[in-house]
Amino acid sequence: MSRKILLHNATVPGIRFYDVYRREGGYRSVEKALKMQPADIVEEVKKSGLRGRGGAGFPTGLKWSFIAKPEGVPRHLVCNADESEPGTFKDRYLMEFIPHLLIEGMIVSSYALGSNVSYIYIRGEYDWITDILEEAIAEARKNGWLGKNILGTGFDCEMYVHRGAGAYICGEETALIESLEGKRGNPRIKPPFPAIKGAWDRPTVVNNVETLAAIVPIINEGADAYAKIGIGKSTGTKLMSACGNINKPGVYEIDMTISVEEFIYSDEYCGGIPNGKRLKACIPGGSSVPILPANLLLTTAKGEKRLMNYESLSDGGFTTGTMMGSGGFIVLDEDQCVVKHTYTLARFYRHESCGQCSPCREGTGWMEKILKNIEEGKGQLSDIDLLWDIQRKIEGNTICPLGDAAAWPVAAAIRHFRDEFEWHVLNPEKCRTENYGLAHYADPVYVPAAV
Amino acid sequence: MEIQFSQEKLNTVNEIISRYPEGKQKSALLPVLHLAQTSFGGWLDVPVMDYVASLLRVEPIEVYEVASFYSMYNLKPVGKFLFEVCQTGPCMLNGSDEIIAYIKQKLNIAVGETSADGLFTLKTVECLGACGYAPMMQFGKTYREHLTKEKIDSIIEECKSTAN
Repeated sequence: MSRKILLHNATVPGIRFYDVYRREGGYRSVEKALKMQPADIVEEVKKSGLRGRGGAGFPTGLKWSFIAKPEGVPRHLVCNADESEPGTFKDRYLMEFIPHLLIEGMIVSSYALGSNVSYIYIRGEYDWITDILEEAIAEARKNGWLGKNILGTGFDCEMYVHRGAGAYICGEETALIESLEGKRGNPRIKPPFPAIKGAWDRPTVVNNVETLAAIVPIINEGADAYAKIGIGKSTGTKLMSACGNINKPGVYEIDMTISVEEFIYSDEYCGGIPNGKRLKACIPGGSSVPILPANLLLTTAKGEKRLMNYESLSDGGFTTGTMMGSGGFIVLDEDQCVVKHTYTLARFYRHESCGQCSPCREGTGWMEKILKNIEEGKGQLSDIDLLWDIQRKIEGNTICPLGDAAAWPVAAAIRHFRDEFEWHVLNPEKCRTENYGLAHYADPVYVPAAV
Repeated sequence: MEIQFSQEKLNTVNEIISRYPEGKQKSALLPVLHLAQTSFGGWLDVPVMDYVASLLRVEPIEVYEVASFYSMYNLKPVGKFLFEVCQTGPCMLNGSDEIIAYIKQKLNIAVGETSADGLFTLKTVECLGACGYAPMMQFGKTYREHLTKEKIDSIIEECKSTAN
């Protein structure tokens, strides 16, 4: 069963606007939180087990507790709405349809962190969503939830939207801060971490859209109630954006106890694969996380059903597992070519590398070129080892995680589908007109017609 | 074209600057460049960037290095209508290659080119966050999603009728 605590009223007509949002119980968490001590809110968020929903999964309360509080220096909360990881479009949905949920979560979070001016850094292409957010912020201000002396508590908070201009790298928090300061999005060397020296050298916390929205149910229902949803260290709900070869692409809020099989085949979620095709592979957490063949996706190496949560998806490490990442769930059916798909991702990372670190700047370009050659039947067998060597030399050798993010998809594709790469090299003519299909599998993976 | 914002737009620039800490007016650079691009012909010529530099009291090079970093700033003239078609993994799985090929053939231009009548420019872009609604393209302020050849035809017709 899907459990909705973020999107439960997303389809209420007019929920985008203040009056309806308020009538449906909106802004209650601000009323409650502003009567609490900021430190108690941080404790509550820690207790909830909420983990950053942008991809890294770092505990939010812990991140908040790192913020420095030097006397007389302003602090800032910045919402990371630079959603750009291929496969990921969940934050867009949340901002477009329930913008007040993000604003509400940000007011509570700003109070907890002591931020009197908070920013939403949104990717430049979400131009129309910028307008939606600015309109919602104006409504919130008009109704006394932003501005001076909110609810008579003496807490002041202003909120602004800062629109980027097309750069995946600005989703990395220090690049985002550089971009907020009006510079190129070149990530900074850490330490110092943003919590100590962030925007304009002031203590700054950067959190993802979904993370900040989740603060609302945590405050309303309490940390214990939130932590009861989910399983283990995967508490609460997760927004998944599902795409690729599925019947029902879209954004789903899931309880992290469901299985991957249920997510793909149940009519409540992806609704199975179109035209009766079979599952070939899947990238379950955004383009950076390892691709898995169908058998390892549905079942862990231990033979257990794989579940849609942080622990289960990463079970087996990178050898037989993958990651929850940002929740960008990309499904490939039997007609898709893993080599070609990996090539488009390599091209993406070459395009998005900021160019600061040589391994990433040069390596992403080399990987793109080699993959293009293999895809077009112009590769050699030694190219596959060369690709492996390049990705290994990028990983861990760059200032920011973009290097790893570029290396992992290539590594996983070779690890699990080396035979398909070899087939391309050995069948240079055939690979242009035919597909390797499911030849990788000794027996096509059994999957039910419906779950 | 005289490079000077209207008084109304100058007020907008000042309002944007006021969102950031005092003395940190450079932070307004990205939003002001967006405003400049839409105000001065859809691209950022050097005199436009120099003008933005003077407004924000930064060196011109600080503007050039930002304008050249971000993919949404056009450093060359573009057509009246810009088609930015996504070609990354999830869009590719849903047929973006065919859509790009169709637009090329229909407008008789290559990727990066502008049609002879100056109306259309075709660009390919990397993931715009619409993977579930693929194939797609950015068209002005919004997205056009679930693209088909028929939809491309009607978008082109729509453009031609508004251009006249």
